Amino acid sequence: MKLGVSAEQAELRDSVRRFLAERAPLSRARQLMEAGDGLDGAVWEQAGSQLGLLGLAIPEQYGGAGFTFAEQVIVLEELGAALYGGPYLASAVLAATALLASSDEGCRRDLLPAIASGQTIATLAFTEDDGSWDPAAIRLSATRAGDGWRLDGHKSFVLDGGSAGLVLVLALADGALSLFAVEAGAPGLSTTVLPTLDQTRQLARLELQAVPGRLIGSPGEAAAVMDRVLDVAAIALAAEQLGGAQRALDMAVEYAKVRHQFGRPIGSFQALKHRMADLLLEVESLRAAVSYAAEAVAEGSQEVPVVAALLKAYASDTYFHVAAENIQIHGGIGFTWEHDAHLYFKRATSSGLLLGDASYHRERLATRISL
Amino acid sequence: MELDLGPEIAEFRAQLRDWIAAQAPPELAGLFDWNMVMTAGGRRGGQLARAMAHPAYAQWSDRLREERLICPQWPEEFGGQGMDAVRLAVLNEEFHRAGVPRVNRGMGESLVGPSIIVHATPEQRAHFLPRIISGEDVYCQGFSEPNHGSDLAAVETRGVISGDEIVITGQKVWTSGAARANRMFLLCRTDVRAEKHAGLSYVLIDFTAPGVTYRPIRQMSGATEFCEDFLDEVRAPLFNVIGGVNNGWRVAMTTLGHERGGRASVAHLGYQREFWELVETAREHGKTSDPLIRQRLAWAYTQVELMRYSGLRTLAQVAAGRPPGPEASVAKLFWSEYHKKLGEIAMAIEGADGLLRPDGDGYPVTSWQGVFLSSRAGTIYSGTSEIQRNIIGERALGLPKDRRIVG
Repeated sequence: MKLGVSAEQAELRDSVRRFLAERAPLSRARQLMEAGDGLDGAVWEQAGSQLGLLGLAIPEQYGGAGFTFAEQVIVLEELGAALYGGPYLASAVLAATALLASSDEGCRRDLLPAIASGQTIATLAFTEDDGSWDPAAIRLSATRAGDGWRLDGHKSFVLDGGSAGLVLVLALADGALSLFAVEAGAPGLSTTVLPTLDQTRQLARLELQAVPGRLIGSPGEAAAVMDRVLDVAAIALAAEQLGGAQRALDMAVEYAKVRHQFGRPIGSFQALKHRMADLLLEVESLRAAVSYAAEAVAEGSQEVPVVAALLKAYASDTYFHVAAENIQIHGGIGFTWEHDAHLYFKRATSSGLLLGDASYHRERLATRISL
Repeated sequence: MELDLGPEIAEFRAQLRDWIAAQAPPELAGLFDWNMVMTAGGRRGGQLARAMAHPAYAQWSDRLREERLICPQWPEEFGGQGMDAVRLAVLNEEFHRAGVPRVNRGMGESLVGPSIIVHATPEQRAHFLPRIISGEDVYCQGFSEPNHGSDLAAVETRGVISGDEIVITGQKVWTSGAARANRMFLLCRTDVRAEKHAGLSYVLIDFTAPGVTYRPIRQMSGATEFCEDFLDEVRAPLFNVIGGVNNGWRVAMTTLGHERGGRASVAHLGYQREFWELVETAREHGKTSDPLIRQRLAWAYTQVELMRYSGLRTLAQVAAGRPPGPEASVAKLFWSEYHKKLGEIAMAIEGADGLLRPDGDGYPVTSWQGVFLSSRAGTIYSGTSEIQRNIIGERALGLPKDRRIVG
């Protein structure tokens, strides 16, 4: 395992950072939030076809660039820092990982190239109205209809469900957890974009009435696929959370240096200085953990399930802690709509809840280390 | 997963592993759990002392000394082998793996040695360093005073130059290992008119000399690991002033660059072992099905893993030649705050049993009570958490210093 950022990786990080600063600054994110659709098509297209970010970790034979998860984590951290609202996590991570983890080579060849280029926006629909992140809670069912399948039920909390052209749906086929590919315009499928607390992250609800779906792999294999997807997704999300936490910490520190009260910068007061020192300790620890986790995924290590659970819990607590303190350190203006602090706070909150909160993952960790 | 440090280091590791397997006395690993967490002011000191008195330990020390594996990071001319930080880290890892002790020379190795290597004259180095490696000089620290702990630069112990001697009078406190030491390194004030940092001298004294007395201080854990010391006109030759008169502050602040990173990848191992012992205790008490205890144990596991990841990251940075940052302060703040909470979790697991302790003189406590009590000191010694946060805030984050009242 090699830790640390190579020269190539540093270049990737810098170019993504520049791209986002130019094409997806927070002012743009706010415009998209007001407009309510959350997707800048031109930026997505550039990210995909020009910068190759969407297919970065997809193998070359499926149209990707064939880099490892370690490179993807670098991109994810930058996306998190910029509060990028486009469907990267949904399409390039959740959907792509599900296809790569399945046994279905035909589906991979058919579906991955368009995901890699960005032409198709894909997502994974697994959670239902009860809000459980455990695949064992899934009830949506698939029944055979001639050569194919029909899906009946609903999905909720679907990341970028309103922007996706391709939805990978988890359903019970003959009582066994299975994965299906569903087209956005399929008959019987109705999609509602949901109003969200964090307006930088789109969530949708799907109603399915006899919707045609293409089975990916064989019935029952999706349980193992989901184990894999959820672990990789947790680490990917943690990388985003790291980026956001670092940015929020930088914001707090910068403000504490320039804001003066009682004749001196407020950062010289120990009450604030010490709390920021604690935040740095957490962010640096998170950084070391994300780095290790990225290597673990890239190397196919057996440690991934334990590291993923550990990391999701820690990243959620850390990001929230930093984002909350960032508001406090800014005083009154930190609470305004106009200031950016609340955007990080709400993203920290939504990221903390997505895929299961910190306590949920600590319990999973406890099980995985056989407590 | 292991860090890839390159083929040369891999070969060094393999050779070292073979050497340890061939040279370590077979009873050595079983004498004591050399990797376990040792808390200052804790209760394992007696067991450790007995293990170190065993002939196998002396045999091992001799072999290490011949191989220049005592203070290996010191220059060859003084008995070390100029070992770099990465190899030192590998050394620590392999000794841990084999369950054998490092035979380090305490503060003589970690604090006095670096100060001497950087600031002393060639004659001083030639005199003092070999005596540390041989073990004939065992040092205790004379820094803190009753009135000056965190504000170390304000110490008042006086050093008066008299002919070719320095005469030292004052009081020191929180000296650990005083009973085992025959030497003390101390800071004293040799110029009362200079600005406080500029009037200090760093002196090595004979701790058995006339004028030196010390008394143990009992800690709340029941142990008497720390002492207060009284220096009444203690004489030392001027040869024992390191770095020159009135240059003591700079000397005291020395840490060699390659000290960082040497223990980075093994520092978590003791805590890892301790965690699993606590899990065993939890199982014995039927507490592993309690959801709140599971959450707290998962938290503790996470913290130890974070120490492991951070240690690997530090080692990777050292190997890449990056200049050190605030890792030492971050690491100290991290483990000491963690350990207090670990002690609290242990008491929660013990439940009502924690109300009682073993019968006997001298306040014997259970091992978890010992961890619980002694861990309270971890955030105080070696720089309080508050001092560490100041260092991190100012040096790592660049936050402005607090207003200082000059009086």
